[in-house]
Amino acid sequence: MSNLFVRKATGMVRSWSVFDAFIYAFFSINLVTLGFYSFSQMYYFGGGMIPALIISAVFIIFEVIVYASLIAVMPRSGGDYVWQTRIFGGALGFILSITGWWFTLWLWTPIYGDMLRQIVLTPILGVLGLKDLAIWFAGRGTALFVCSLLTLGFVSLVIMLGMKAYARIQKYSFYAGMLGLLIVIILLFTGSPEAFRAGFERNSAAIFGTQPGLYDATATAGTDAGASTPLTGGSLQLILLTLPWLVFFNLWPNWGATLYGEVRGATDYKRNFSGMAWALIGVTVLGIIFFLGVARTIGWDFYVQANAAWWNYSWGYTDQVPPLPVWPNPAMLAVFLTDNRLIQIIVMLLMSVWWFGWAGTLFLSSTRVVFAAAFDRLLPEKVAELDERTGTPVNAMLLMVIPAIFVSMLYAYNIGGFISVTLAATQGIAIMYFGTAIAAIILPYKKKELFEASPIAQMKVAGIPLITVAGVIFGGFLAFLLVEWFFDPWLNTDGVPPGLYGISLANTNSVIFLLATYGLAAAIYYGFKARRKTEGIDLDKVQAEIPVE
Amino acid sequence: MTKLFFATDIHGSDICWNKFLNAGKFYEADVLILGGDMTGKAVVPFIHQGGKNYRVTLLEQEFDITNDDEFLQMKKKVRSRGYYPYLTTPDEMSELEQDPSRVHQIFLQEVLGVVQQWMDLADKKLDGTDMKVYCSPGNDDMDEVDEIVRSSRRVLLVEGQVTPLDEHHEMIASGWSNRTPWDTHREEDEDQLQVRYEAMISKLKDPRNAVFNIHVPPYKSGLDEAPELDKDLRPVLAGQSLQPVGSTALREVIRKHQPLLGLHGHIHEGRGTTRIGKTLCINPGSMYEQGTLLGTIVKLGKNKIENYVLTTG
Repeated sequence: MSNLFVRKATGMVRSWSVFDAFIYAFFSINLVTLGFYSFSQMYYFGGGMIPALIISAVFIIFEVIVYASLIAVMPRSGGDYVWQTRIFGGALGFILSITGWWFTLWLWTPIYGDMLRQIVLTPILGVLGLKDLAIWFAGRGTALFVCSLLTLGFVSLVIMLGMKAYARIQKYSFYAGMLGLLIVIILLFTGSPEAFRAGFERNSAAIFGTQPGLYDATATAGTDAGASTPLTGGSLQLILLTLPWLVFFNLWPNWGATLYGEVRGATDYKRNFSGMAWALIGVTVLGIIFFLGVARTIGWDFYVQANAAWWNYSWGYTDQVPPLPVWPNPAMLAVFLTDNRLIQIIVMLLMSVWWFGWAGTLFLSSTRVVFAAAFDRLLPEKVAELDERTGTPVNAMLLMVIPAIFVSMLYAYNIGGFISVTLAATQGIAIMYFGTAIAAIILPYKKKELFEASPIAQMKVAGIPLITVAGVIFGGFLAFLLVEWFFDPWLNTDGVPPGLYGISLANTNSVIFLLATYGLAAAIYYGFKARRKTEGIDLDKVQAEIPVE
Repeated sequence: MTKLFFATDIHGSDICWNKFLNAGKFYEADVLILGGDMTGKAVVPFIHQGGKNYRVTLLEQEFDITNDDEFLQMKKKVRSRGYYPYLTTPDEMSELEQDPSRVHQIFLQEVLGVVQQWMDLADKKLDGTDMKVYCSPGNDDMDEVDEIVRSSRRVLLVEGQVTPLDEHHEMIASGWSNRTPWDTHREEDEDQLQVRYEAMISKLKDPRNAVFNIHVPPYKSGLDEAPELDKDLRPVLAGQSLQPVGSTALREVIRKHQPLLGLHGHIHEGRGTTRIGKTLCINPGSMYEQGTLLGTIVKLGKNKIENYVLTTG
């Protein structure tokens, strides 16, 4: 629309910077936290990691199209919760999104806590010379629980600070983190396998007190644990089978997207799309560069073996502490190429900001969805109250923090094998995304007038709206992931649990977790609906469209 | 006791205005209150190409209209977003490019034309009912809008007034806001706003049982969170950085007088409710571009809010 015909009025802002949008999407699919962490757990697959990264990114591009399109049609509306309730009606939208954006995030807390210790605390304490503390933090049980509590403390601090301050912290973290990552990549591409092996032995002994012969012992422990994942190659089927784990890392370029402002035309749609798509492409390329660097200097096989040795112990398949008693953080392995302790400290500090710039948003979406539900009278008014003095949503925070402490305890102490539900953290959100993908598919037909008057009305593929086409592909991809997760052992390991992903219907913990969260969401919805009815509020009616004529 | 329906910031959307007029019957409300900013933000030229052909650019998408049916559909589409269709020619478009000051006249003509149509529709639709409709234009609404609203038989202009809602409750109303980066029609400094509010409040019989229908939300209420902008009006940090932009004067008078209810708008993405002391403050938000009427139903009781809920109609 020509600016000539737009008058000055409240909210008529200009377009935001695509680069800024890129940064936040880039942080959401965080190579150093989510990436390093999930790659390392994927030590037993048959599909190559590089083709898996590329193929997953191709599918996730359609996710980006779906979300950019929904934002274009219904901007500033609050995301999945509003899209789903508008298109499906109240119950389904509420149950899917409250579970995906709220309850599932409880489970992310100990996972964030695990990353805090592996990526930040253990390596930094190690290079600072605090060996015993570093190794304690890497241990099972209480160390992980403490790190989960520290994570909750940090996230609560971010909520108190507010997004204005944290958005700035994120931007600075991006530059600092990129500097750290650049140094790591330079180290990986300028080192040699011999230098790495020697540096690994020397620095591990100095920092963590490991025994001579660590390299060989680690390789043996990893091989015994079943290390097998190749860098490249593998049949298409084997590559596809890596994706249900890999998406733990890269299914999230849309994480902050619902905040993007008014979309006034096709250009703004493209800006939304570009911010997310370039982040996905950028992270994928960086991931490939990282893998090549690892293969060049650390050695791909050794990298996978070291990971296998660690996770085999960490997941409780053996009580034998691996020869390297901490997670083989690839950034830490890279800095072992130098003996300069100051450089090691600086690089590990720079790499740690990836966690601090990313973890603060753990409960951001949850807080929003709790508020939205309270405003819809599906939760008590008190949960959306702000503290008069600080403006902090104390009650909403408690609804996140208290259950998260309980879930963290189950996870940290692996009560009843609870640690096996790790991937349910991705599964719960993927189920919600699946609902959104279906909403996107039917939007042009169910909300025809809304779609026709939107900036994407003319975007079609063979006469079919692009949002529908993208929704079918993204929804199909999610359906594949869900089938693999739910029926994993019967599809992949001759019916023998835990299968490849550990969260199938054969995993009682996973089934209970899912049923409990969806059951809780349904109970809240129908309970409050009935209660409001007795108060004279018909929640179906307040969500229903008023007749126009 | 009174059951009121409040909606705001419908910015020229025909669909939303129609829904607003129907909301009383739909929600069984006694009173309809429209907050400020009833006028649209953009004119969309329909450029005549000869015969029944027009070229229209809507949301940066070009449409070629070739018959009456397409013409009507496109007009409806443009109006549904709150924009104003303007029939023109390539020659006039060139002239307007040369003389942008004329565009203001076109805006005024189109805006006022639609407000007149809305008032006519309200008079027609609500005749024979006892529905009360109150309206106070907002900071984005030109001054000329007031006269047209005043001419309506069924819609009452309540800007700056104390309006009795029932035997226990009165309402003050104002569409004026604190300063914005857009230098809009009805904005002023906080101290002037304070004077404006206090002048109305002083006429209330019982401020604690009153409704403050004030377009701008109170500062730092959570109802006033808007993307931080740079000097070029670009959202900084991709819209991730939100900041409070509400009125400090309003927050102060609410804190001091503790009315029963605050009804606000202005910040479309600020949908929500909050309490300042005992006062329930509501911003139902706005999704006018999508033809969705966001609103709130509030049941006023003696010395208390009986019940309330946000609506998505």
